[in-house]
Amino acid sequence: MSLTLPSLVSILVFPAGMFLILLGMVYEYVDRKLVARYQNRFGPRWFQPLADMFKLLAKEEIIPDGVNKALFIFLPILGVTAALTSALYTPMLGFAPAFSFRGDLILVVYMLSVLTICLGLAGANTVDRFSLVGATRTLTQLFSYEAPFMLTLLGPALAAGTLQISQINAYAQDTWWMILTQPIGFLVALIGLMGKLELPPFDAPEAETEIVSGALTEYSGRGLALFRIGKNVELVIGLTLISAFYLGGLANPLEFILKTLGLLLVIALLQSLFARLRIDQTVGLWWRIGAILALVQILILVVGRLFF
Amino acid sequence: MENTKINAWEKTLNGLKTWARINSPWVIHYNSGSCNGCDIEILATLTPRYDLERFGVKLQGSPRHADILLCTGPVTRQSRDRLLRIYEQMPEPKFVVALGSCGLSGGVFHGSYNIAGGVDEVLPVSAYIPGCPPRPEAIIQGVVALLNSLKEPKG
Ligand code: SF4
Repeated sequence: MSLTLPSLVSILVFPAGMFLILLGMVYEYVDRKLVARYQNRFGPRWFQPLADMFKLLAKEEIIPDGVNKALFIFLPILGVTAALTSALYTPMLGFAPAFSFRGDLILVVYMLSVLTICLGLAGANTVDRFSLVGATRTLTQLFSYEAPFMLTLLGPALAAGTLQISQINAYAQDTWWMILTQPIGFLVALIGLMGKLELPPFDAPEAETEIVSGALTEYSGRGLALFRIGKNVELVIGLTLISAFYLGGLANPLEFILKTLGLLLVIALLQSLFARLRIDQTVGLWWRIGAILALVQILILVVGRLFF
Repeated sequence: MENTKINAWEKTLNGLKTWARINSPWVIHYNSGSCNGCDIEILATLTPRYDLERFGVKLQGSPRHADILLCTGPVTRQSRDRLLRIYEQMPEPKFVVALGSCGLSGGVFHGSYNIAGGVDEVLPVSAYIPGCPPRPEAIIQGVVALLNSLKEPKG
């Protein structure tokens, strides 16, 4: 299915911009509700993320002493912008990506990391010790999950023989679901996404019980709201990418909704099943198990392609 | 004509702000010298059994993220400065809820040499929740009453 939209619309409304922000809130709600149901709770009401967002936007924004003011204001904006930009290259709602070129997969992966780097810098910008610890952990975690996550996205790309997301999506639609042919890659990608979003059990960077709120400790009001928007957007894009690659591609909106929500169901289950890992355990898990598994997957693929 | 338009716009915006404020109260909890009884009850309130997320309540670690300061126990002279500092770190609009007999008046510690008094000796308190310690239901009722009081136009 291909649909060409004027560029301005695609930047401001769909697929990036307003639409994605709202979709991100819907997914945040679904995630919170699912976790609540898994814990035998009633869970939040449907408008909860919206109310949170409005409240944060209407709150006073405190700029603490000792920070670089320009950076303090600019970093959240940059993070959200990067996250929204990457949406332009993904098959949102199953439509063809608004923009596309050879190798846009690499761009998207980098764009998705910008938000995390902004988060780390935002924490390091303040003089508060909790933010500093949080920033260190955020960046440490970035270095641990990023390589395996990238490798797992490379798996389907290798199978399809292209680094263009729309072509991989099209390839995934006509072959077997790659979750069957590359199960290891799927597993590592899913857990990599959870690490990227700092969801439990990988929430050591923002562990409330130890370091207040991690890198975001000093943010209030608008900055905090923007970072939350960025996280939600990243959740949607991550789900889109994984379901486009591993779950047989995204051909239409119905498939998009079913596949991404199915993935969210699994992610919410994993979130409520596991307790938080220490940061050194996270790093160990990724480099000792995650990276090796992803490499094995790639190796099998390469060898397989040589012989078949 | 222009004026009424602006007023209507402002009114909707204010309505939206109040609505968001009422539906998303994030709390931070501070123990200014309580015997820990009240704190245990707060933790019990936040467990899945009472599920405060129904009302949008979330426990926040950082005062910068919080809207409501749940303060338990009498304010000791030692913790008075910290309490004030936490209050000042919270962004506007902010509210204080005093919890337990001690938070209200000093309770069993009333008149002690090391006590500055109840929470309202130090901070402007918006809601009082009595009990020693208050039951989780009482805490929920207190917080919801505070939220409902935001709805009514003041004055
Ligand atoms: S009100 Fe009762 S439970 Fe609470 S701090 Fe005072 S003595 Fe302890």
